[in-house]
Order: sequence, then C-alpha cells, then structure tokens
Amino acid sequence: MLGYIMRRVLLMIPTLFAISIISFITIQLPPGDYLTSYAAQLRQTGENVDEDEIRSLRERYGLGQPVYVQYYKWISGILLRGDWGQSMEWQKPVKDLIWERMALTVVLSLVALLVSWFVAIPIGVYSATHQYSIPDYILSIINFIGAGTPGFMIALVVMWVAMTRLGLNVGGLFSQEYMVAPWSWDKVVDLLKHLWIPVIVIAIGSTAGSIRTTRANLLDELNKPYVEMARAKGLKEGKLIWKYPVRVALNPFFSTVGWSLASLISGQTLVAVVLSLQTNGPMMLRALTSQDMYLAGSFLLLLSTLTVIGTLVSDILLAWVDPRIRLGG
Amino acid sequence: MSQRRTITRREFLSLSAVAAAGAVVSACAPRATEAPPPTAAPTTAPPTATPVPEATAVPQPTYSEAPMLADLVAQGTLPPVDERLPKNPYVCQVAESIGNYGGTMRRAFKGVSDRWGPTKHNDRTLIWFDQNLNMVPRLIESWEVSDDATTFTLHLREGMKWSDGTDYTSDAFKWFYDHQAAQPDLNPSPWEKLTTRDEAGNKVLCEAEFPDAYTVVYRFAHPKPLLPYQTTRDFNGFQTPGHYMKQFHIELCDDADALQAEVTAAGFNAWNEYFTDRNLWYMNPDRPQVMPWLSKNMLSEELFLMERNPYYFAVDPAGNQLPYLDKVTHRLFETTEVFNLWITNGEIDMQYRHTSIANYSLYKESEASGDYRVVLGVMAEHLAMQLNLSCKNEKLAEVYNDRNVRIALSLAINRDEINELVYDGMLVPRQYSPLPMSPNYYEKLSNAYIEYDPDEANRLLDEAGYTERDAEGFRLFKDGSGPISFTVESTYEAGTPLEDAVQLMIGYWADVGIKATYKYFERALYTEHYSANEIEAASWGGDRTVLPLAPEAIIFRGVQPDRPWCPGWGLWFTSNGTDANGVEPPAGHWMWDIWDIWDQITKEPDPVEQNKLFEGILDIWAEELPMIGVLGEQPGTIIVKNGFRNIVEGVPLDDTTGDEHFLQTETYFWDEPEKHTT
Repeated sequence: MLGYIMRRVLLMIPTLFAISIISFITIQLPPGDYLTSYAAQLRQTGENVDEDEIRSLRERYGLGQPVYVQYYKWISGILLRGDWGQSMEWQKPVKDLIWERMALTVVLSLVALLVSWFVAIPIGVYSATHQYSIPDYILSIINFIGAGTPGFMIALVVMWVAMTRLGLNVGGLFSQEYMVAPWSWDKVVDLLKHLWIPVIVIAIGSTAGSIRTTRANLLDELNKPYVEMARAKGLKEGKLIWKYPVRVALNPFFSTVGWSLASLISGQTLVAVVLSLQTNGPMMLRALTSQDMYLAGSFLLLLSTLTVIGTLVSDILLAWVDPRIRLGG
Repeated sequence: MSQRRTITRREFLSLSAVAAAGAVVSACAPRATEAPPPTAAPTTAPPTATPVPEATAVPQPTYSEAPMLADLVAQGTLPPVDERLPKNPYVCQVAESIGNYGGTMRRAFKGVSDRWGPTKHNDRTLIWFDQNLNMVPRLIESWEVSDDATTFTLHLREGMKWSDGTDYTSDAFKWFYDHQAAQPDLNPSPWEKLTTRDEAGNKVLCEAEFPDAYTVVYRFAHPKPLLPYQTTRDFNGFQTPGHYMKQFHIELCDDADALQAEVTAAGFNAWNEYFTDRNLWYMNPDRPQVMPWLSKNMLSEELFLMERNPYYFAVDPAGNQLPYLDKVTHRLFETTEVFNLWITNGEIDMQYRHTSIANYSLYKESEASGDYRVVLGVMAEHLAMQLNLSCKNEKLAEVYNDRNVRIALSLAINRDEINELVYDGMLVPRQYSPLPMSPNYYEKLSNAYIEYDPDEANRLLDEAGYTERDAEGFRLFKDGSGPISFTVESTYEAGTPLEDAVQLMIGYWADVGIKATYKYFERALYTEHYSANEIEAASWGGDRTVLPLAPEAIIFRGVQPDRPWCPGWGLWFTSNGTDANGVEPPAGHWMWDIWDIWDQITKEPDPVEQNKLFEGILDIWAEELPMIGVLGEQPGTIIVKNGFRNIVEGVPLDDTTGDEHFLQTETYFWDEPEKHTT
C-alpha cells in the first residue's frame, strides 16, 4: 500500500508540470493580453486611454517578452520563493488575493456539501427501499426539478424572494457594517444570516444528483445474493440496509472526492457570481476573462493540483472502504 | 413622438444662474459679520462688569466646520478650521442650496479595475469646470498662459495643506518634476503632459522654475495651448507629496537595501512598481492627499471606505468647509443583477455608473419602495455607424469615399422609427456632434442629413453611378461585379437594444439596395480587427461630445481607431507612418484639412480662437459626413436617494467632465444626515 502511494505521488510531479505549461499557454491563447483587454474595457466605459501609459505598463509587466520567458519567471517564482506573481487587475499579490477569500470559500462549499449529503443519502435510501411507492414518485419529481433547474436561476429566484418577501439584504455574505469589521460574534451571526441563501442554492443542485446516484446504486445492490442471505439469516432490516448495501452504494461519493476538493476552492462559480459572493469562483472567472494571467494561471494550477491530490485521496479512500479494489491493485 | 426632455445650453445656463444667484444671496450674509454668540465669551472671564478687552476675546473663526471635526479641535488633536484652510480657499458653487454636515453616501463598484467610480468622485485636479463648462482653477488659485502658449505660470493657494497637515507648496511640483516626471524607472518616456514634440516627433521635456513657495512656471519648447484641458483629468501628475513618497524612491530613501527588501516582501518585482502602488491614494491610505475624502482601506476590499479630509481646501459660499458628507462607501458587486437589486431596495444613495437606460422602467417601478428618484443626465454617447474609409478592400473603399454614398446612407435611415422602436422615443435624431450644452455645439452638423428620405437616397446612389442591380435588387459595383456588400462589426451581443438598432439600419440600407450584414465580435477580436485595419464597417457609439477639445477631439480627428471610420489613416497618423497597418490618406483629401486645422489649434493660445478653428473641422464633418450618426442625447439614469441633494437634472455625462461627478461632489448633502449614518 505504501509503495502504491509513493508511486502515485511521484507520478504527480510530471503531471503537474505538464498541467502548469498547458494552463499557462491556454491563458495566452486568446488574442491580445491583459492590457489590450484593459484598454478596451476603458474605452468601452468612455475613459481616456493614454497609449504611453499602456506601453510602459506592458514593459513593466513584461508582457512583450516571449511566452517561455514569462512562464519561467512565473513558475520559478512559485517554486523558489513561493511568489505567485502580481495580479494586474487587482494590483495585489496573487497569494494574498486567493488566501483572503479561501476561508469563506471553503466554509461555504463544505457546508453546502455536507448539507447535500445529509439530505441526499437518507432520501436516496428511502426512495430505493420504497421503489415505485407514492412517496418515491413525489420525491423523484421534486428531484428532477432540482436537477433540471440551473443553479444561477434558483439563485436569482431565491434572491428575489428573500428581498421582496422577506425584506432581507441580499448579495454578498455580510451586511455593509460588518464587511470590513474584524471578526466578532456579531459578525459570525451576520454571516449565518446570509449564508443560508447560497448554501440552499448550491445544495439543491448537488442534492438532486446525489439522490439519484444513491437510489440507483442501492437498487442494484438490494437484489444481490448477499443481501438475501443476510435477510435469510434474520438480520434486522434497518441494520442490514445501512451496514451492507448502502456502504457499497456510497462508492461514487468517495470516488468523486477528487473533484469535490477542487470545487471546494473554486466554489460554485456561477451561483457565486449571481449572488455577488466574495469567494474564489467569481475572482477566477474574472481573471480568465480579463486575461489577468498570473492570477488565472495560479488558479488553474491550484485547481489542477487539488484535483490530482483529490484523485489520489479518493483512490485511497476507495481502497479503504472496498476490499475488492484494495486487493485488485 | 414622445416628449423631448433634453436640456439646452440656454436652459442649463439659466439653471446654473439660479444656483449662482442663490449662492450670492447666501454669500451676502457671511459668517464673519454675524454677532458672536454668547457662548464665545471665555468662561474664565471674571464675573465683573468690566468689559473684556478686544484683544483677549476668543477670535471668531471665519469658517465653519463639520461637527466631527469640531470635536477633534475641541480635544486639541486638530488645529482650528481657519488654520487648516488656505488664505484664499476654493469657493464651491452649489447646484441647489447650502447643505448640512454629516451622513454617509453608499455607492457600488466592480473592483480595482473599476476604480473610476471612486476616482472620478474624489480626484481633485489643478483645473476643473464650472457649471457653464468654463475652466476654473481648483487646486490652484489661478494660472497664466504666455501669448505664444509656451509658458504656463501656476499660482498655488497660500496656506493650503496636505491631509497630514504639511504645507502644500511648489515643493510638491518641484519634487515631481525632479524625481518622477523623467525618472527612467518611473517614466521610461518623459511624462506626456510636461513634454512637447519636436519636428521629428521626439518628446522634449519642458523646463520648470519654482520662484517661490506658491509659484510654478513651466516653459515648453513648443506651444502647448491645450495643457489646461489636459490638467482637468490628471490627478497623479504635476505634484507628488515628496515628503512622504521619498521613502519609496530608490534614489532618495535612507536605506536602499531596506527598501528593496520591502519591495520584495510586498510581492513586487522592482522598486518602481512598489512606488507606483504606494502613490495611489486608493491603494495606500497613508499617502497624504488633497481630496475631499480620504481612503480608509484599500480598493481591493469588499467595502471601500472614504472619510472626510479635515484639511480639504474648499468652502461653500457661506463659508462652511467642505465636504458636507462625512463618509462615502463603495460596495463590491459581481453582476449588474445584484447591483440593480440594491438600487431597487434603496441601498444605493447616488450613482450613474453601471446603471443603464434599458432598466429605466425597473428603476421607476421601485422609486417609491426604494425611496429614491431617477434623475436624468445627458449622455455624450451617440448611436453611430462607421464605414471604414481607409478600408483595405479597394472596391469598398471607392464606394465609401463617394460623398454621395455616405449622404445617401444617412438619408436612408429612419431615425424616428429606431428611436420609437428601440428607445421609447427618449433619444434625439442627430449626427455625431457636440451636445447642445457644449460651447462647440454646431447645429449645422447635428442636423446634417438626418431626415428620412429614401427617394433622395436612391437618387444619390444612382447619381454616384451605382445603378446596376442584381436579381435581389442589391446594387453592383461600378465594374459590374458585386453586389456591394459589407460586414458591420460590433461588440453588441444579440438581443441587446444596440443590436436591434443596427439590424434596423441594415434593413433601411437594404431598402435602397445596399447589402450589409451584422456580425458580433468578441471584444478582444474586435480590437485585433480594427488595430489591423481589417474592418469593413462597424457600429460603436461616439462620445466625448461635451468638450471635444479636452480629449483632443480624437474621434473627430480619426485617431481613435476603435471608432473605425478611418483606422488605417489614424494609425498612419499616430505612428508617424511607421505602423505596418497604417494607410496614408490620398493627396488633397479633406482628412488633411482636418489635421491641418488641428495643427493650428494646437498652436493657438486663445480658447475662443481654438473653438472658432474647431468649427472648421465641424464644417468639414457637416459637409463630408465621415461617420453616420443616428441618435444621441441619450438620457443617463442617475439614481438619487430621496433627501440626497445638490444633484440636478440635465448634467452632461461624459468621461471628460467626470460623468455624474461633473457637479462638485463635495457639495452633496443629506436633508437629514442623522438618518444616513451607515
């Protein structure tokens, strides 16, 4: 097992190296660079653009240099000095920008993930064990609506209802008076007041999918001989279901940890954009569209690293919960 | 036809006159002449009948100040208001009335790259405009220009102070000139505004003298009569608080190694990046300022905070130190949907930036519940079509360069119909031209060929020689090939009002036998296209029509290639013929006349003469119609919370004049400030 993990870790190094090159090149692919998009944006909003200023900025950011020189500067900064470069759009070090938003992003994604699991697994199990009953049909209908409605749409509707019907202040995770205030009990309470909207919106989307997966997997397992055998031996129905087939049916949850880890930090981008949440998702999207290359590149690199690590973790988890995989390896 | 709610120059002037008259009335009762209130008597005075000698009486301050500052003065942490203000403070006219102190104004923004909301609101430049669009000194007390427009003398306000209490003197200008304007790391090419160009096009830095603490003299090698205009939007040049910034300057700091370490620790590559960063008021709250409000944190935060500058150099006509508002906040949003929700929920106190006329009915619907009103300004933007006169496709270039064709294409457009169908009749049919309140307003151009006359259009096209048509009725080129067909490029996405308008125009042109198709281009690709002169035709609005001379008439001169009526010629001109995509205009073309007249303007010291010369360019435009203007004077929606004052209808909304901040932002106030403290 240890040798297996070691081998996998070593393999990650060339993978990440390749990813870093590809992501850097991808960012450079669209015509122009950050400054052309910046200048165009200025012109669009009716600002004066001083060509001299643009030229000297281009020189300062080294945008006129060949791609491989820019890449080397960026990657060597990260490896040797832990310096992720400077965001051109925010005029701040990339590291600070990402970390500032990290805590909130992770809290939000984690809470939403847990909520969705806590809701999805029991419902999925119930639906599977009561297949084709009236409650199963009702749950399935709700389920399909949840799965079929895009998250941003739900976000808009929830926001509208919260504002017009409940009179809440929407958008963002804090009220104005707590935005830049230091952490305090009141600020936490204020956060909780705002957090439920994004949590519900994000959870609805993923819950629906999880319910379907649990239900389908469990249905596969329920008719297997080992279940019959356990039942024949007189095991209590509840204990039987939860201890054996459900454990197997949950495999997909573990194998998707790999992606979940990455989505923890990128957040639900679209929903976060609509709700104006100050998490990493919207910042990454903007960095990509405005060709803010160091910020965008760092995000892509971070996401890929987490995906690679997540895949490893999920493989280990799977081996741990499912002996068949462990022995097959 | 719905009502026209535009404001003419005359109306705008009379409105300003009312405001000015009000100011005069209030100025007639200055604070200084009021009887001293009884509380002013020293409490330690002996309780006898002996009159207190004149000399020992507590001097009555000439000026009034905000209660939050009065508290600080009472505590002894701040000098009295008279000592904080210059001897001759800037007297700000108010648009409506003298205001109350206190309260917070809430606005919204989209991040550091969208700094223009806070900066236009807060930046104070050497010179600004009064309500009649005349230039008036703001930071400085006055300025003089020599007859040959090469020597500029600035007179500073004696006793004016930076926000840290340090004297604001010519030292700041000298520091900028000596250590920043031509410092190779900070400005690899000398700072544009302090240079002129010689015959070969090389930059020549001016000479500067600083005879005393309140006088600055710039001597240029060549005439630079538009310099005063150029100072109106420049806030980070001319002067720098050298007494503070020198610690970030590698040549002047005490310990260069320590500075280098600081630069690296802050995540910058070189000292000049760090210097530039520290020199931005919105990224560095510690930097001394001369603005009405001071930054309290960084613009990269979710809520950007600004608080009054106790040393702000301006007063209202009644002698109250400005600004009236204690605080200004900018809250970050990602999408306009959220911003619109904040507006309708009454969480925005005053804002034009990021609002859109397309949401006019949404804003109006919630006026009562959100407790605000929608005030309309006049946007400088025009809906317009550009045919690339310098087009690489020679056959198309021949068609476009026929004056009759351009006039025909203008007459073929039914402007009233577009106005009704797309804009509910709220715009005004006009060519791209200066707005009615502009000193450069020129009716001959505004109204040139804007009537809808398809018969005349057909006649002109026939007269131009494009009589042959194909089976579908589209006109052929003169050599019989064709039909004449071109692509209109733009960044207007499908389904937007702008796209609708362009599609309508294409329809009108099809009616007179000219085939055009619309194609959406992503912004970056559009930029690539016009910078390579690869564009056939485009639709991008023309703005800078309030004071066209201030932004150096870049659209009228064709040197702003994103309004691509002649990107090839423009690139040729701006690059001195070196740009590979540049095209020299044909000999004897009226383009040369425009550039000649501009050349004269840039040598003419008298602003009146400048405007007169500029009329020559507008004449050529009225004659030749280089760009086909369609609609203009679009109302811009300014959201104003009820009880928020000194904002009036009809203000011009243009980049040149600071958009909604054309009126002095320091005079904004709340009727009941105590209700608006967060």
